[in-house]
Amino acid sequence: MKKSWSGFLLIIILLILWELSSRNGWVDSVSVPQVSQILKAWGGLIITGELFNQLLPSLARVFIGFLLAAAVAIPLGIIMGMFSPVYRLLEPITEFIRPIPASAYIPIAILFLGIGDEMKVFVIFLSCFFPILLNTYSGVRGVDPVLIDTGRTFGVPKVQSLYQIILPASLPTVLTGLRISIGIAIMVAVVAEMISGNNGIGYYILDMQRIFRVAEMFAGIFTLGILGYTINYLFLVLEKYLLRWRTNEV
Amino acid sequence: MSLQNSLALYPKTEKADVKKIIEINNITKQFNVNKKRITVFNEFSYGIKEGSFLSIVGPSGCGKSTLLKMISGLEQPTDGKVMFNGKAISGPPKGMIYVFQQYSKSIFPWSTVLENIEFGLRSHKKVKSKQEAKEKCMEYIRLVGLEGYEHHYPSQLSGGMQQRVVIARALICEPEVLLMDEPFSAVDAMTRAILQELLLKIWESIPITILFVTHDVDEAVFLSSQIISLGKGDEGVKEDLEITLPYPRDQVETRKNSKFTTIQSKLFSSIFEQEKQA
Repeated sequence: MKKSWSGFLLIIILLILWELSSRNGWVDSVSVPQVSQILKAWGGLIITGELFNQLLPSLARVFIGFLLAAAVAIPLGIIMGMFSPVYRLLEPITEFIRPIPASAYIPIAILFLGIGDEMKVFVIFLSCFFPILLNTYSGVRGVDPVLIDTGRTFGVPKVQSLYQIILPASLPTVLTGLRISIGIAIMVAVVAEMISGNNGIGYYILDMQRIFRVAEMFAGIFTLGILGYTINYLFLVLEKYLLRWRTNEV
Repeated sequence: MSLQNSLALYPKTEKADVKKIIEINNITKQFNVNKKRITVFNEFSYGIKEGSFLSIVGPSGCGKSTLLKMISGLEQPTDGKVMFNGKAISGPPKGMIYVFQQYSKSIFPWSTVLENIEFGLRSHKKVKSKQEAKEKCMEYIRLVGLEGYEHHYPSQLSGGMQQRVVIARALICEPEVLLMDEPFSAVDAMTRAILQELLLKIWESIPITILFVTHDVDEAVFLSSQIISLGKGDEGVKEDLEITLPYPRDQVETRKNSKFTTIQSKLFSSIFEQEKQA
């Protein structure tokens, strides 16, 4: 992971431009407050602990939904990848459900689960489930037949070859699925919190907009950006460690 | 006794009544290609002598790799049986290891050299301790000349070195039969010559039968104690030659031997003629 200084520089330039636009009245400074005001509001939210109080329930929902999805989708994906009849049975329905945005399930989920945490966790679970499932079975199905035959010629039993060969060989694809789905999980959590609820970062952003505390609203949005970036970065670090055999080429 | 000390102690002398370690009995193999049924082997039979270095050559599409796959148990014949030590093969049997042409796909990229070789060891032998396993692996790492690379990942090795890992991983199982499908076809010429010598040295030093599929006639003559040449289609064995060139063979000296050139050109022209007809 090379540090992309030029990329960060561009962000800073854009923020300065924003600051100037708002300060000089090039844009409506009520809807788009100055960056300095947003940062000030942000600082206040951090000091009072307000930001943390809103972030914590969101993160809890995201991680519970995400982990539950991984716990179900990875084993199911492995079974689908290893056994063609199961694949042929479940692949069409998977491909049919997959393109439906998870936020579209929120109304149904509200009918069955109400507007509480269960509904939000369930929708996050659904949104993570398909990317993880799809990447897992594609990864398992994509394991080179030579690798599987290598296990056979050494007389490795099927169960053992699952964790000695199939799992490590499909790990890169599985990790990609996990990384994609945690990004989606954050999006869906925000939407679900905006639709219903009384806490969470999504709820907070909408609430601030309603009471015209625009700087705080932007602070919430910035927080999401940083959260997404951090989670993605941590994932890449984890990937780099787990797939260290792949990255250190001569 | 370590492997290297036993070098050249195992006699490869010609015995009159050598046991047939593998017997191919009346096998037929058919494939469906573009909705057409093609027969690669038709009631094919052959016996392979224990301790031999048998190369299988022939024009492309003669079924040499298919034959090797059927012997290994990775593929099944449509009809007939392959017997290994008198027992019919139904799946990959213990005591036989298949070395793939695509070594880079057969090696475990997530494992170090040591771990790759340890995989072979643990698949065939009980090891009491981590230490014992490591010592045994190091013995084979030295045998194939990879000392100092035991903690490297395959992506850090050259093709020739990866092939050494794959060979060591097979040999550590102490197989009775090593099946090799064009193992050196993807490495450069110099590496190939070195690996050929290494393989011969190993074959001469331990009791092992090697079946070697190659499209390179020169390589086959240099290595083998016996060569069979398969014909196009389902023709079966076209030539069956004992190669009586003395061992140990030398990349330079052996090739100067007039017997070498005679066999080499005879086989080459036979296969070349068939390729041209296609």
